[in-house]
Amino acid sequence: MAAANGQGTPSRPLGGAAVVGARTGSVFAEPAAFRDEPAQMRSGAVGKNGFLRLGFERRGACTVLAELDRRIPCLVQRALYPEAALPDFAWVFMITTTGCVLQGDRLTLKLQLGPGARAHVTTQAATKIHSMDANYAAQTQAIRLEDGAYLEFLPEPLIPHRGARFLSETTIELSETATLLYGEILLPGRKHHRPDECFGAALLQLAMTATRPDGRLLFTERLLLEPARRSLRQTGVMGDFDVLGNAVVLTPPDVAERIEARTEAAVDLADGVACGACRLPNDAGLIFKVLGREAAQVRAAMRRFWAIVRAEATGAPLSAPFFWR
Amino acid sequence: MSAAFGSASHWAAGGEGVPAQPGLSLIRALQFGDSLLPVGGFAFSAGLESAIQTGVVSDVHTLEEFTRTALQEAALGDGIGLIWAHRAASAGDLAWLARVDEAVHARKLASEARTMSLRMGRKLTELGAAVIDAPLLIAWRERVAAGTAFSCYPVALGSVFAAQGLPARDAFAVHQYGVAAMLLGAALRLMRIDHIATQRLLYRLNSDVDAAYTHAADARLEDMAGFAPLTEVLAAVHVKASVRLFMS
Repeated sequence: MAAANGQGTPSRPLGGAAVVGARTGSVFAEPAAFRDEPAQMRSGAVGKNGFLRLGFERRGACTVLAELDRRIPCLVQRALYPEAALPDFAWVFMITTTGCVLQGDRLTLKLQLGPGARAHVTTQAATKIHSMDANYAAQTQAIRLEDGAYLEFLPEPLIPHRGARFLSETTIELSETATLLYGEILLPGRKHHRPDECFGAALLQLAMTATRPDGRLLFTERLLLEPARRSLRQTGVMGDFDVLGNAVVLTPPDVAERIEARTEAAVDLADGVACGACRLPNDAGLIFKVLGREAAQVRAAMRRFWAIVRAEATGAPLSAPFFWR
Repeated sequence: MSAAFGSASHWAAGGEGVPAQPGLSLIRALQFGDSLLPVGGFAFSAGLESAIQTGVVSDVHTLEEFTRTALQEAALGDGIGLIWAHRAASAGDLAWLARVDEAVHARKLASEARTMSLRMGRKLTELGAAVIDAPLLIAWRERVAAGTAFSCYPVALGSVFAAQGLPARDAFAVHQYGVAAMLLGAALRLMRIDHIATQRLLYRLNSDVDAAYTHAADARLEDMAGFAPLTEVLAAVHVKASVRLFMS
């Protein structure tokens, strides 16, 4: 195996009704229509069976990346500490060496924060999910936060190209005293590239389930987009909006209440932007959604929300955006 | 309520799909599907009030689309939960019913939608236990009263139909009908539209209910899904609105 990380030979994906995410134990239904193998490398082959394990621990005044295990195309180099206001706060940029997600890819992320650890995890660039004519791409993510941990998981946008089939399954286990901000931005595709790129994906499923360490279920969200079966332009779905931002904040109820009070809720059809937050079931926290015509509007609203979460959960302000991002 | 029509089913005697007392089955389904059923459905607009205030819904066409979105969401989400609740209740398995209930509740992410589901579900559970006199419903009502079950509306509806031996398909159809009837009833009070236009929409919108049921009946409980971000944003806007006629 090319990746020098000791992970051994990747297992062949199962041909049956379910795929088991490598090492996460997460199981999701394999889409029956998309079980054919690519004409290129088979699904889950070397280079298409990525794995990344990140373990953050608090050591003294600092959060360190104590555990790092990776297998191509997933790559992480080291933790950075770019924020002067929060010198203990570890930033990690996830890199993909293939530059995009391809048909047959199976990607697994295991992310863990020990007691009191604080980290920000993002991607180096947007995640482009390429066009597909066979099979599908899948990612499983398992995130675990122990007592008092604080994680901002804010990857760059997802860009599903026309015909893409992408399944994402995220499981979260967090302590009652931990806080997680998980935010994703979904673009409709390369919308200025050609007309059928706008909402041209064949299947997108973005699922997330959160539980307490004792197994109590907090909430589940399973977003299912099949534009060919159901127009995303329909009133109440996306309408005239093109870009979706979706953020979940899992945090103690008092923090959630303060965030909710400061979060805007409005629909402005003239400017083409709409957003609002709702309290999640089981006192899990909040879910914030923003819709916009352009990615910049959604990024701006997501950043405002991020700043509120950061301030209410840590007391620290957000640093100015890096000039290169 | 005669004991003869308890959980013993006025369906079973007639064989698969043929009720022994089709008229009575229809009347039972009508009673629990009636918008006059005192479970409080009239107080909610499921986001329509905000949709009209913000201009998202402005005419018959956008009202139709908004209602279709709500119906598709119900068929892909709550409707699957309802069918599983019906199965659990038909088996008389309260622990299974509680697991279905928990799964439905955990997917009600918008707070007002959750409030609506819980209020209507609890009222229907109380009503069902009082009217139908079936041991399963009485035991379920006790769990709800003790705070160990939520009894979300689709779960309550599925179990009330199961307790009478009425089929899951009827419960599913009643649920879909209720979603459309609630929105269109609210539309009459919120926008310029007449009864004929809303009845035309109601007639047209549910014409694919059998295909929706077949799809939902094939699904696993964990397949409950959806995608209506604008509706969710409208629910959030409604929470913060200063003038509100409806509770959602």
